[in-house]
Amino acid sequence: MSLLQLLSTSFVQNAFYAVTAVSIAAGAVGYFVVLRRQAFAAHAIGHVGFAGAAGAVLLGLSPIVGLLVFCLGAGLLIGVGGATLDDRDAVVGVTLTAALGLGVLFISLYSGYANATYSILFGQILGVSVANVILVALLSFAVVVAVSLTYRPLLFVSVDAQSAESRGISVRAMSILFMSLLALTTVVAIQIVGVLLVFSLLVAPAAAAEVLTNRPWHAMALSMGLALFSAWLGLFLGVWLGGPVSFWITALASLAYLYARVRVALGSPSRASSRASSRA
Amino acid sequence: MYQVTTLEMKSAAVRLGGRTIWRDASFRLEPATIAAVLGPNGSGKSTLLKAILGLVPLSEGSLQVLGRAPERGDRRVGYMAQSRFVDDLSSITGRDYVGLGFDGPRLGWRRDKHKGDVVHQALKLTGTLSFADQALRTLSGGQRQRIALAHATVFRPELLLLDEPLAGLDLAAQAEIVDLINLIRDTTRAAVVVVAHDLNPLAPVVDEVLWVARHQIRSGSVAEVVNERVLSELYGHPIEIIVTPRGRRVIVGLEEEFAHPHPHGHDHTNESGHEHFAELYEEETT
Repeated sequence: MSLLQLLSTSFVQNAFYAVTAVSIAAGAVGYFVVLRRQAFAAHAIGHVGFAGAAGAVLLGLSPIVGLLVFCLGAGLLIGVGGATLDDRDAVVGVTLTAALGLGVLFISLYSGYANATYSILFGQILGVSVANVILVALLSFAVVVAVSLTYRPLLFVSVDAQSAESRGISVRAMSILFMSLLALTTVVAIQIVGVLLVFSLLVAPAAAAEVLTNRPWHAMALSMGLALFSAWLGLFLGVWLGGPVSFWITALASLAYLYARVRVALGSPSRASSRASSRA
Repeated sequence: MYQVTTLEMKSAAVRLGGRTIWRDASFRLEPATIAAVLGPNGSGKSTLLKAILGLVPLSEGSLQVLGRAPERGDRRVGYMAQSRFVDDLSSITGRDYVGLGFDGPRLGWRRDKHKGDVVHQALKLTGTLSFADQALRTLSGGQRQRIALAHATVFRPELLLLDEPLAGLDLAAQAEIVDLINLIRDTTRAAVVVVAHDLNPLAPVVDEVLWVARHQIRSGSVAEVVNERVLSELYGHPIEIIVTPRGRRVIVGLEEEFAHPHPHGHDHTNESGHEHFAELYEEETT
């Protein structure tokens, strides 16, 4: 089959729609993950999702059901228990460990084909079903709408929780909301790159954007753009040259971050210069 | 123009987790006055600000803020939280941060067309226009505090509550912030309540002192409160005050405050970078 024929197959097209939806959601939510320094929470939720998916497979359900239940559960736990910075890491760490333990148990009880586990860990975007594409698109759309509606208060509590609280914003409510959005985004990102590589869409593009610009809207747009770039090009390279798509996406997203750091380290004026032209 | 009393507290008490933080507190604050809130760590200085903000309820007595009961989110009250800004790593610009003071609590996409002007005025008032478009993490501690003041004054509040605005700053930056607080008071006629560790940097501009210690609050002019009689009575043991030739006060006799565990966990500050004299003072008062 020629490259063109490959690209027009339904499984590649399904994958294209899925990565597009997920990249936009992950780019937006990822910006707040980086701003709030909650990469550890994002990491943990992904791994908790692994336990959920393994449990669902054990029960003969679709892995995405287990992912949704476990990721949302972990998100709520971390959101409620870790609203203040003091005990956040401990809450995240304990949640992570407890879930991974369950995951080990579920896998040991499961005697079936190990491929399910493999695709949860490393992603299996080219095998995504139409039903999953629709679910992923709907969830991503919901996340993007929620982020854009709550953008300002979310930014406010992320930057200065105490001042936000004094102005009538509930820091705890925002923490719970954000962790739920993060959980949903993690679930959809796992469909593409898997549990272990979830950072490639959720953290790397946003971290690169946060280094490159200091305007929140620009950073969010850039974060989405870099996620889309990595995902689209990664999908294309995977189809063209072979190799796992999640590898290509991860490599590209990491390179984007590396590029951002090098650019700033070499004294690009983008970070420190004044920009009177782009006033709020 | 008729102006109501900015703050009026009568026989007020706050209890948190079954423990009295302070009680029997009464004071008034008029517009365009600056009050320093002093006292040991954990005595309830930040709690006083939170009561005024409506974040902590009174268990007894009454409190009127600009003629009303305290109300969370009252735009007539500006608040600058205890200085997390000193080691802030935020990538956002000062202008965006001040913008959050304007519409940060608002949901939805709608943008207020006056936002740019209002933010600009706050930046102008605080002298921060020249670095407002830099990321907060690239600014010095003093610059960040000025931006934080712009954030707190974006609505031209009639009451400005500042929690430790001088913490972590060197003496030169402290003096700059004190000048700016004075300028804001003079320009906007706002009453300002400043929680501080050290009276000395604020002494030139302070009209009132609220001294919080041992579950009590003493208020009055500097001379009325920061004297040996009142402080000795407040602490229940003899306190000596030495006034240096340059008019700074060193307070002796509060050393045992050190031995007390902190009654609650929210009043910690970690100051560094003080010159020796200020450090000595701070140790003696806290």
